Amino acid sequence: MNDEINLKEMPEEEIYELMQEDLYDGLEAEVVEAVEELLGREIEPIEIMTKGLVAGMDVVGVDFRDGILFVPEVLMAAKAMKGGMALLKPLLAESDAPKMGTMVIGTVKGDIHDIGQNLVSMMMEGAGFEVVNLGINNSVETFIDAIKEHNADLLGLSAMLTTTMTYMRIVIDGLKESGLRDDVVVLVGGAPLNHDFAEAIGADAYCKDAAVGVETAKKFMALKSQ
Amino acid sequence: MTVMDSKNVQTHNIILMPSGRRGRVAHGKTLLEAAKDLGVEIESVCGGRQKCSKCLVKIEGGEFSKHGIVSSANHISPPSKEEIAYLEKEGIHDRRMSCASQIIGDVLVTVPEESRAQKQIIRKTATQRAIEIKPAIRQVYVEVEQAQLGFHRGDWGRLQDALDEQWGHKDLSIDIHALRRLQPALRQGDWKVTVTLWNDAEVIDVQSGYQEGIYGLAVDVGSTTVASYLCDLRTGELLATESVMNPQVSYGEDLMSRISYTTERPDGLEKMNTAIIDAVNQLANRAARAAKVARNEIYEIVMVGNTTMVHTLLNISPKEIGEAPFALADRDAIDVKARDLGLKINSAANAHILPAEAGHVGADNVAVLLAEQPHQQDGIILTVDVGTNAEIVLSSPEWMYSASSPTGPAFEGGQISSGMRAAPGAIERVRIDRETKQPRFQVIGDERWSDAWVLGDSAPVAQQPKQLAAGICGSGIIEVVAELYLVGLLTSGGRFNPEVDCASMQWDQEKRKGAFILATADQSSTGKSILVTQNDVRNIQLAKAALYAGAKILMMRSEIQSVDKIILAGAFGSYIDPKHAMVLGLIPDCNLEEVYAVGNAAGDGARIALLNKEKRAEAGQISRNVRYIETAVDADFQEEFVKAMNLPHKSDPYPHLEGILPEEQPEIKKRGRRRRRQIA
Repeated sequence: MNDEINLKEMPEEEIYELMQEDLYDGLEAEVVEAVEELLGREIEPIEIMTKGLVAGMDVVGVDFRDGILFVPEVLMAAKAMKGGMALLKPLLAESDAPKMGTMVIGTVKGDIHDIGQNLVSMMMEGAGFEVVNLGINNSVETFIDAIKEHNADLLGLSAMLTTTMTYMRIVIDGLKESGLRDDVVVLVGGAPLNHDFAEAIGADAYCKDAAVGVETAKKFMALKSQ
Repeated sequence: MTVMDSKNVQTHNIILMPSGRRGRVAHGKTLLEAAKDLGVEIESVCGGRQKCSKCLVKIEGGEFSKHGIVSSANHISPPSKEEIAYLEKEGIHDRRMSCASQIIGDVLVTVPEESRAQKQIIRKTATQRAIEIKPAIRQVYVEVEQAQLGFHRGDWGRLQDALDEQWGHKDLSIDIHALRRLQPALRQGDWKVTVTLWNDAEVIDVQSGYQEGIYGLAVDVGSTTVASYLCDLRTGELLATESVMNPQVSYGEDLMSRISYTTERPDGLEKMNTAIIDAVNQLANRAARAAKVARNEIYEIVMVGNTTMVHTLLNISPKEIGEAPFALADRDAIDVKARDLGLKINSAANAHILPAEAGHVGADNVAVLLAEQPHQQDGIILTVDVGTNAEIVLSSPEWMYSASSPTGPAFEGGQISSGMRAAPGAIERVRIDRETKQPRFQVIGDERWSDAWVLGDSAPVAQQPKQLAAGICGSGIIEVVAELYLVGLLTSGGRFNPEVDCASMQWDQEKRKGAFILATADQSSTGKSILVTQNDVRNIQLAKAALYAGAKILMMRSEIQSVDKIILAGAFGSYIDPKHAMVLGLIPDCNLEEVYAVGNAAGDGARIALLNKEKRAEAGQISRNVRYIETAVDADFQEEFVKAMNLPHKSDPYPHLEGILPEEQPEIKKRGRRRRRQIA
């Protein structure tokens, strides 16, 4: 159990494996150490992100979806991911590495429950996306301004109440009116929603949880780049 | 939507309310048969011969987007001549005989309580509390001066004089309905009448001669159950207790979907209002009959309920309380003529509605506080009213804080794979053997534990279970999850432990997804085993964490470390075991002997306000003094919510559970090869 680990002597592939396991266990310092080691070996930041962090968070996402991991563990993993990303982000910005995409997210007007969307934000960042989290109670104008300002690819709308989810339609109609609808992929989620509702209001997809949200976002971004 | 099944038979969707059971049935099947297939027993004495009319049901019309169906009376075969004749004779317009109704399209059907073979068990029994009797209603007997030529005072003037001279009542007004009864009563009673007064301010009835009999009705309008208490206002005696399922359930399970129903449909509010007023009238009727009292002798009704219930009761749109900032139409108490609400008791009777605290903490919670009086007791007391929304009050003799936590329907059996309401066959108690990990349980309707059941046709009838297990209700869910943790089958994080091998666990091939077999197929009424799945555990974790985090925020804001006493209210509160609630981490640490389950305290509070008008002033003080905290926007809520997901808690101590909680946490191997290392 207690075999000494010496990163310096470890082959790259094994470090990635270890990084993924540490990420799963939410060990931030260990993840950061592994990222540092790989950077020291002059490995491309994009490669570290994809093979280590993103691949690790994929496993977390699958186990969360299956109920094996739960919110506290996922938050720990996302925090560890964030620690690793903090080193990579400035380097990625300098390089011409392809971007995963930018998402604007927030709860709609009248809704003050943001725990779900905070989890989505962390998981999205974990998957390498840029996330602009607008917090609670956002009007259609706030969403539109943020989409323009950050040149967003994705819009995440969240609502926890049956009574507030109807505002999502107003946001989507607002996007259409301002000519932005075709520029952003609209993903919706929250306790009272379902596929039929998402379809009825003209969203691109309903995501039943944060893990599905990330999967869906990736799918749409892949389509977009084709 | 119509689809074909494997044998190429057309099938339709059927949804049965209020149970919410749904399924697909073959074209042409009768509603009686279809309901039976779906586990809803409709009463039938004649066995489907269209004679007994016990099986009447209501076919709802319209689009039910939540269920994804359009229901219509035309989706049922038209009634036969015999059925039409019967229904006409009985004056029934909106019901059909389920035995004669063939399903020919999608339908949503309400099975009224009287047609259900198994009546819902609603254990909201009124407790005996010492209440001082000071009702708002009183009766006085007066002798009035006869009318004579030359004196133009009017009969009402003469009655006013008599009430002043004989009883000292001044400045009275008279209700128009009482005024209409005045002259005949005076003459019939030879100028001797019994006058009924409300609040010593208004005459609400005049009867000839000497009469006795003033009654009042207290009603707790719960979103699931509506309970009523008929009381003698002179003696305070409780004469009858009646309850029904809230018929609004057909328009939405939870409060928010009911609010949406009122805002999304032009006739939504009207339907919700009519449903609840009809239910209260039905209760008044039944209670009056049970107590052998005339309905027009009920002179006052006091009602409590959550804010959505009160809005729909008053026919006020609850739209504004559906979204932030959750503005109430009126937070204060309301006095209104019962007739203006459509209530059929005495036509001049008053309806009193207790005040609310905030957008989501209503008159029902004020009633709980009125009944339990936590603020009048020494020490720090946590009062929790558990339902789909948990109302939490933390109090000391000096202050009171309240919060509302959206626990969701899990504690009422919702969002749980085998969940059900507290009805016959529901598993309500669970114990798991520490060594063998074998469960035993008790169902509602049979006193014996399942390990004493003798199953099989050859077993003596007396030893067979009276009820097989049909599902798990709230108290059973809390107990089973707490027990699973206590015996090591669940980790503190809430995951089924794949390292413990036992016969009562069921795993998928990769041993990733586990489920606990609570009742075996032969113990269950459906013939399928009753499972507790990993997702069920996750849903309970979310619900209990929401409740705990709400309580914790109140403790943080009032700067206290621990509570001296916990009061668990709610219909559910009577049957929840304090130890299991604490092991689950539903409530904070407390001396187990100081945790009390008080049952329907809201109903008791309504009764107290009915019998003692001074308590209405006290309710007003409570409503104004409670400081409501919006936990959802509290900076610490998310962190507290996440920490509270563990069993019983990630970091908060439970010294009173010492020796009860498992000492060592079972270690679970993480994915694949693990090499532990820690960076100092």
